[in-house]
Amino acid sequence: MADSKEYLTIALPKGKLFAPSAELLCKVGYTAEGLSDKSRKLIISNEKKKIRFIVSKTADVPTYVEYGAADLGVIGKDVISESGKDVYELLDLGFGKCHLMMAVPKNQKRGRLMDYNHTRVATKFPHIAEDFFNKQGMQMEYIKLNGSIELGPIVGLSESIVDIVETGTTLKENNLEEIAYIFDTTARLIANRVSFKLKFEQIHQIVTDLKRLQAEGEE
Amino acid sequence: MDNEMQVLEIPYGMRDFLPIEAAEKRTIEEKLASLYMAWGYDEVVTPTIEYLDNLVQGSRHSIETHLFKLFDRKNNTLALRHEMTTPIARLSASRLQDSPLPLKLSYSSNVFRYEEMQAGRQCEFHQSGVELMGTTAAGADAEIIALAAKGIVDSGITTFTICLGQVDFATGLMEQFQLSSGEQRALQIALEQHDFVQFESRINLLSLTGSAKETLRQIPLLCGGEDVLEKAYTLAISEKSKRALDNLRAIYRLLKAYKADQYVRFDLGIIRDFSYYTGMVFEIYTDGLGFPLAGGGRYDHLLSDFGNPCPATGFAIGIERILLAITRQHLARPETPKDVYVGFANGAEEAAIVKAGRLRMEGKVTELAPASSTREEAESLRKKKGYTDLVYLA
Repeated sequence: MADSKEYLTIALPKGKLFAPSAELLCKVGYTAEGLSDKSRKLIISNEKKKIRFIVSKTADVPTYVEYGAADLGVIGKDVISESGKDVYELLDLGFGKCHLMMAVPKNQKRGRLMDYNHTRVATKFPHIAEDFFNKQGMQMEYIKLNGSIELGPIVGLSESIVDIVETGTTLKENNLEEIAYIFDTTARLIANRVSFKLKFEQIHQIVTDLKRLQAEGEE
Repeated sequence: MDNEMQVLEIPYGMRDFLPIEAAEKRTIEEKLASLYMAWGYDEVVTPTIEYLDNLVQGSRHSIETHLFKLFDRKNNTLALRHEMTTPIARLSASRLQDSPLPLKLSYSSNVFRYEEMQAGRQCEFHQSGVELMGTTAAGADAEIIALAAKGIVDSGITTFTICLGQVDFATGLMEQFQLSSGEQRALQIALEQHDFVQFESRINLLSLTGSAKETLRQIPLLCGGEDVLEKAYTLAISEKSKRALDNLRAIYRLLKAYKADQYVRFDLGIIRDFSYYTGMVFEIYTDGLGFPLAGGGRYDHLLSDFGNPCPATGFAIGIERILLAITRQHLARPETPKDVYVGFANGAEEAAIVKAGRLRMEGKVTELAPASSTREEAESLRKKKGYTDLVYLA
């Protein structure tokens, strides 16, 4: 931690968001040799520019940033909301666009959302789901799964699912139908609350450069 | 959980302080207590348990879900205090209302919040701080900031930054564009949650000119040295925003006299709870710790919630966070000396008791052996226990 003052540490998630995040940061001058989510190294640094990258499991990015182990991070809005961590959300990076929704088996669809009150819902996002159903005045039984959420209703584990959807293909393949939209999510640039203050100039410069890139992209 | 397990475990969010940790904690708390005393603050102690309704006064936010609650015999809802400002406001508005103003009070207490554990914060944690009541003068705010800075220095932390803001600046900017209270609240929530993406999209929804929107967008970005104040003046049209900046300028001028200006950075985007703070606000940060060490500000409405309007300002320092920062930054840890170990041969116990008593009178930290032993055994225990000298009575 002694050298944390000199280095800027960025946490990137393994998987889908990794490549576009690394590419975007590279365009504003933040990269390191051998930066890849397939790398066995957990920390990849660029000694010359005093940048360090941590490549971590998706759900851990907000934790690294909240505790200040990383100054910045790139992560989906869904993961931030689910984690409930106190981090600065600086910029919508635009990629990784998906939405959270509730889906049910097509052939057992009920008339209204309320008809699902007091049923079981399988999800990777129990906090988001609970928040959503509470707002509808519904009480549900939440079953936390870590992957292949679609399997829940098929094997009779739950009556519905709350999950993230990009194109809807997986839903179709599993005979599921979306019945309630929850919110849109995209990748966000997040910062630790102390780093954002103590390294304000540097972080603000990155945000400004990224915004300029986005504006150029739109033209 | 079976009973056998429970005997050894402690509840979620609670911790034990082992001897070295407890000694470090006490050393820092004592340093802070004597500092507050030297600045003319009187210590108060308030009850650990209060009526729930008292503790949630003034905080519009759902702090209630984070309180440890219980019932008394008459079924009133009680709660463990989650901070010290509200109990001290209650005390000042009632028992101390006839005391001469300004009232200067200090505390060092444990507080309780039921929330996910953070670095240097369990569900029970320790805060040390002061409250200065009865004056709106910039001098009072400057004194609070300077005292907090001195407290951090005395605790042994050498490098830190104080970020100083003023909540009226942001509210003034929002008012100068005649935002509805709903719109204003939505922007404030986005700022309080540190969600700039939400903040930006809320601004985009407003029916304002491009330049007005750009002005609002600047709020969280006004961070830096004195030049930030100048920049902020160019954005402030409303009297409220200008007064907020004048106030910061006045505080800063006095902080120079305290020689505390070297630690200060302006940050007009520091948003601590809007419903609670009414003037200057600040947070103190240090490297290697992702959370603030201390925070405070002016809260002029809280005492009127207790039926006795009185302006007030104050701060709280997180003791566990100070300890964590000292460890992380490899700074000198507060030491407790162990001076003399007194051993004795068979038959010399009375003499040893007298000797130990005399050494303690001289101010030496002295441990008396529990039973007679040989000189070699006493010497080996002295080493194990970390005492500097051995006194052996034959």
